[in-house]
Formats: sequence, C-alpha cells, structure tokens
Amino acid sequence: MNPILRRSSFFYVTSAVTYLGIMGRYMLTRDWTAFEIIPLFVPIWLVSALLASEDGERYAFLRMLPVPDRDVASAKFALVLASVAFQWVVMTGAAVGRMSEGIAGPPTLVYLTMVCAFGLLAAAGFQIGIWRYGVSRMKPIMIGAIIAGIAFAIIHLASLRNVYDWPVFSRAGLVEWLGGAPWISSAVLIALALLAYRALMRVGVRVKAESEAHL
Amino acid sequence: MDTVIEATGLTKHFEDFSLRGVGLTVRGGSISGIFGPNAAGKSTLLRMLAGQTPVPAGTLRVLGESYGSAEQDLKNRVGYVPQEPVFYENRTVEWHARFVAPYFARWDGACFFRLLEDFRVNPLKKVRLLSGGQKKLLSLALAFSHGADLLILDEPTAGLDVVHRRSLLDRLRVQVAGGETTVVVASHITDGLDEIAEDVTFLHDGRVVLQGGADDLMTRWKWVLYKEGSLGGAIEERFASVRHQPFGCRGLTNDFPAVRDAIAPALASGEARVDHASLEDILLSFIKGA
Repeated sequence: MNPILRRSSFFYVTSAVTYLGIMGRYMLTRDWTAFEIIPLFVPIWLVSALLASEDGERYAFLRMLPVPDRDVASAKFALVLASVAFQWVVMTGAAVGRMSEGIAGPPTLVYLTMVCAFGLLAAAGFQIGIWRYGVSRMKPIMIGAIIAGIAFAIIHLASLRNVYDWPVFSRAGLVEWLGGAPWISSAVLIALALLAYRALMRVGVRVKAESEAHL
Repeated sequence: MDTVIEATGLTKHFEDFSLRGVGLTVRGGSISGIFGPNAAGKSTLLRMLAGQTPVPAGTLRVLGESYGSAEQDLKNRVGYVPQEPVFYENRTVEWHARFVAPYFARWDGACFFRLLEDFRVNPLKKVRLLSGGQKKLLSLALAFSHGADLLILDEPTAGLDVVHRRSLLDRLRVQVAGGETTVVVASHITDGLDEIAEDVTFLHDGRVVLQGGADDLMTRWKWVLYKEGSLGGAIEERFASVRHQPFGCRGLTNDFPAVRDAIAPALASGEARVDHASLEDILLSFIKGA
C-alpha cells in the first residue's frame, strides 16, 4: 500500500470500526428504527473521518514528491469510496439477514443505498472544498454539518417514537416504489452515484492542481 | 554546458503582489543566486521552478522538460527546499524517510541518515520537537538524498548556525564541482550565499532588475571613494548612487572600466581610491533607486 493511502486509511478504518462497533450492532438486535436511524450516521462518520484525515494532511510536503496531483486525489477518493462500500455491504447484509423477521424490507435496501450514495457525494464535495479553500476554512463548515447531522438523527429518532404520523424515510413513497425491485433500483442508484462521484473526482483533481489554499 | 532552466515571461498575480515577466536561464553545473529583499518574488519564482505552483503565464522548461507533461520525472530529478519546510509534525524524522522512499526512484537512505548524523538531527525525534534550523536541515537532507540533478533551495541557510551554514556552503560547492548537479538558491544575500553564486539574478518588486555573472558584476560594479569635488560633476552623474560622508564621498559605479580612465588622475594623486562592491551594495542601489 502506498504511504499516502496508508496514512489516510487509518482514519477511515478507525471510523468504520468505531461506527460498526458502537452503532452497527444495533441493526442485529433492535427493531426497524435501527435501520431508519443508524444509516443516517454513515455520512456523519464519513465526514468526521475525512476531517480527521485532512486536518493532519500536509499537501505542501506531498507536492514535493514525484506523485502527480491526480494520484493523490485518486487515492483520497478511493478511500472514501472503499469506506462507504464497506459500510453499505455490512448494513445491507444485516438488512437482508433480518428480512425474515420483518424488521427490514426491500425498501430498506434502497434506503440504505440512497443514504450511502448521499454520504459518498457529500464527502466528495467536502474534499473538493478542502482543496479549494483549505482545511482551516472548511473545518467549521464540516463540524457544523456533523453537529447538524447528529441533531437531525436524534430529533428524527425522538419524533418517530413520540409524534404520530412522523415521516419514515425508509417507507417514503419513492423508496417504497423503488423497493418494488430493490436490487435493480440499488444497482441503478449505485451506478448513478458512481458516475457523479467520478465526475466530482475529475473536478477535484483539477481544483487540487490549481488551488494552493490547501498547501 | 547545457541549459538546465529556461524561463521566459513568468507571471503570477496575487492580491497584493505580482511576479511580472521574469526570465531566467540557468547553466548546468552552476550555482545561481536569486537575490532580493522581502516580497521581491523569490519564493514564488522558486516554487514555480520546482513545480510547486502552477505557471499561469510564461514558459518554463526544467531539465529540458515541462512540469505539465513530465511532472513525475522532473520531481524525481529536482530537490526542493522551501523557505518554511512542512512536515507531519507528530511523526518522527525517520518516519518521513520511510514515507518518501517508495516515491523517489533514486532514494538513498544511507545518504539521508549520514546527512542527519552530520547535521546532528536525531532521526527518532518527532518533527514538532525540532527547532526551525533542524527542520531546515531535515528538508535539506531529504533534498540531497534522492539523487537530484537540480537543487532549488529557498533561503537554505536561514535559521542555521554558523557551523552548519559553512558546512552547507562547502557541500554545495563540492556537489556542483562534480558537474552533475546544478543549484539555484534564493536569499537575502547577507548569509554567505552571495559568496558561492556564479550567476546572479536580482529581483525587486516582482521584476528582474539585474542579471549576470557574479564575476562580471564584480568587475563592473565598484565603489569609488573620493574627496568632495575632486572628480567633477560629470563623473558623479555617472554613478548609480553617491553617499556623502563626513570624510569624503562614496560613488557606486556600474561600469567601472568606462569610469576608470576618467578618475585616473584622482587615483594617481591619492584623492580617490577604488573599493570592492558587494552584491548587497549593488542590490541596495536598485532598491533605493526604485
């Protein structure tokens, strides 16, 4: 593994393991709300890992090495993608495993894919922001997004339990409709997310090469 | 001798500063000095030469290639020491060597650790515990250890004590004497680098104000010390600058061979004498005249 990947992967592995250790296990033991709430933390943990990794990154040092910006950007994007893919596989596995109990259903699979796709693209956006504006300027925005995400998940959970008719994302009309053919829907969503991610990666490479705010 | 750097019209604009149309030619196997006051554009120029920042306007060829098409190859062959080196502060010196080793095709770990020993930098120490001078030495050790054909050093002696400064200057001389390495240094002049530079470029306010061989500059630029009124106004007007002092005047000429005949009578009568002008004197005349 190249040293840039090795250094950055520490944060993503730590984040994923912590996430699955603390929260992911509830998908195996709790009721259907676990599949509604816990996926919301995927983008939150992902952005946290990105922030931790980038906060300690030294792009000015990396730029002195014979490594093109394209390779550095690709390595960073590959890590985010691998982290999301791993979490998607684990959560989808848990959902499939609990379908027989009625805790998860076909729309749950679509919902998990949608949340992971959102997390993937949000992380890509923040990564580009860091290259364009520097980590010091992006840090407050990212911390704000993390806090807002946590608050949203808590409010959503509390409202699901206490407010009659509170909307359930994993049973929303579009999700239910796509859940009619969950694997095909998920495959299409994944393909679209990957296309968008690839486009963002190209933008990221260009931004990283042209900007000096992150150095 | 081959040309190692060929730059024309290098331009870059910032909010409060612009590098404007800088041209530079560096011969292979030479030491070139880029001198100037603060905010003259030295670091920006060096960052361009080292492929650390894009070149928005102008042309730049380094070692016969351009960073746009051969970035990886060039960075293998160019060693760069920034004005303020950046490292992973919580990692050790040794960790940095392990980090960079896979990337450089000609990385020489033994050379790196030998240099650290010479520089008295503890490889097991975390970078955040190093002094500013030691960080500079670490940066120099990294630049010297990957078989670079071209060394681009930004204020390399800043923060170094006199022993390390002298040792660095000697090392640069030896390295260039072999003919395989070319060195470009940027400096404020006062740190001894002016002694080793063979070619000199003066930058001021983002522009090149003077370029030439150091020996040629030394031949043409001289101080003429004379008694007030002993030379005549016509000669004084030809000086780049004149300082009136309590016991006489000091005129700086930028064309001593042409002035020599005119001041010969004063030299013969002892009313004038000639003194060596330093690069710093020359640069100051441009800054004050600007």
